[in-house]
Amino acid sequence: MRQLVFLVFLVGCGGTPTPTGTVCPDPDPGTLTYDNFGKPFMEKYCTWCHAKDIPRSNRNGAPIYHDYDSLLGVLQTPDHIDEQAGAGAKASNDFMPPDRCPSTHGGALTVDCAQPTEQERQQLAEWIACERNRPHTF
Amino acid sequence: MRVLSWITVALAVGVYAPVSARAEHDHGGGHHHPVEPVSSIGAGVGLVAARYDTKVYVGDYEGVLPTLTWSRGRLGASAAVGAYRLVENGLTRYGLSDVVLSGQATVFVRGPGMAGVALPVSLPVGNHETGFGMGHVMVMPALWGMVAFPAVRVGGSLGYGRAIGGDTHHDHGSWPLVDPMNLQELTWTANVFIPLGHALQAGAKASGGIPLGEGRNRVSGGLRAIWTQGPVETAFEVQAGFAGDPFLFRGLLESAVHF
Repeated sequence: MRQLVFLVFLVGCGGTPTPTGTVCPDPDPGTLTYDNFGKPFMEKYCTWCHAKDIPRSNRNGAPIYHDYDSLLGVLQTPDHIDEQAGAGAKASNDFMPPDRCPSTHGGALTVDCAQPTEQERQQLAEWIACERNRPHTF
Repeated sequence: MRVLSWITVALAVGVYAPVSARAEHDHGGGHHHPVEPVSSIGAGVGLVAARYDTKVYVGDYEGVLPTLTWSRGRLGASAAVGAYRLVENGLTRYGLSDVVLSGQATVFVRGPGMAGVALPVSLPVGNHETGFGMGHVMVMPALWGMVAFPAVRVGGSLGYGRAIGGDTHHDHGSWPLVDPMNLQELTWTANVFIPLGHALQAGAKASGGIPLGEGRNRVSGGLRAIWTQGPVETAFEVQAGFAGDPFLFRGLLESAVHF
């Protein structure tokens, strides 16, 4: 467990920009957190397919081990999330969410996906940039 | 005679068209030409179906693989592409693979032996994000050789593959899903075929890629049966992936005609 904490700390160490070129302000303002932004964002746009309780055949193309129904899951692939859905100085990515989504977790693609606003994508990138630098114990 | 000679050489190597080359990055081992100063043109189509299980994706795919070949004397060229239905973690997608263009030359012929060089280049037509393509140009120069005796034919190749202009990607395991390669690797093939009579040949093949730098060692093998009737060659092959998650198992049905 201590190794995991160390790894999470190591990945975020140094305040390097995310793939979209987003850097957490110094000092970290702490305004965007998992509870007030990350969790509701993921639940609204991502965990229909990116959840660890959804079997492989029902993930609608979501890669295994890309589960965003927990902070630990998010911190396992933070740059990947930024590359797919974040917006920053270098890029504004709208690869995710896709066009079609399930109406239930792991269901068939029956509805149009809700799409984050540009501001939400910028907030996502900033939250990731900050969250990966914060100390965590899982 | 020209057609028979072409077929003999091609069957000896075990992959008579870049259809199967496309399907397994076996570019250095296929489509070698007799030394005859007459042009030959070939057209083929392959059907492929596979089941795969990689680090983060599981599913299957089916594809149609058209090819064109040309040869004259010691020189040859080919073009191949695949159109796939790809199921990845429950999502079905349709798309083209990367296009593979290849030039080949026979540089050594003596007795039952033959050797040459090949320079396949793949163009990033396939969608990289969804597992159809590499996302960048790949060059894959290779040396190939074969020895054909009446009772057995043995061949193989050794090559080097490298991405041009590519960068490292978020690791999704073997990639692309339909035909994985490393960004930089040594490629190899080996095959042996035995004539069974009645225009039939059967043999075994193996191929792989050894990563240079980051990547996965990849090994697959298969059994192949070939039927030749005039200018038409038809082959069926079953393959299994042994290392590096190229696929769990795969079937190929190919047919080509040469003029």
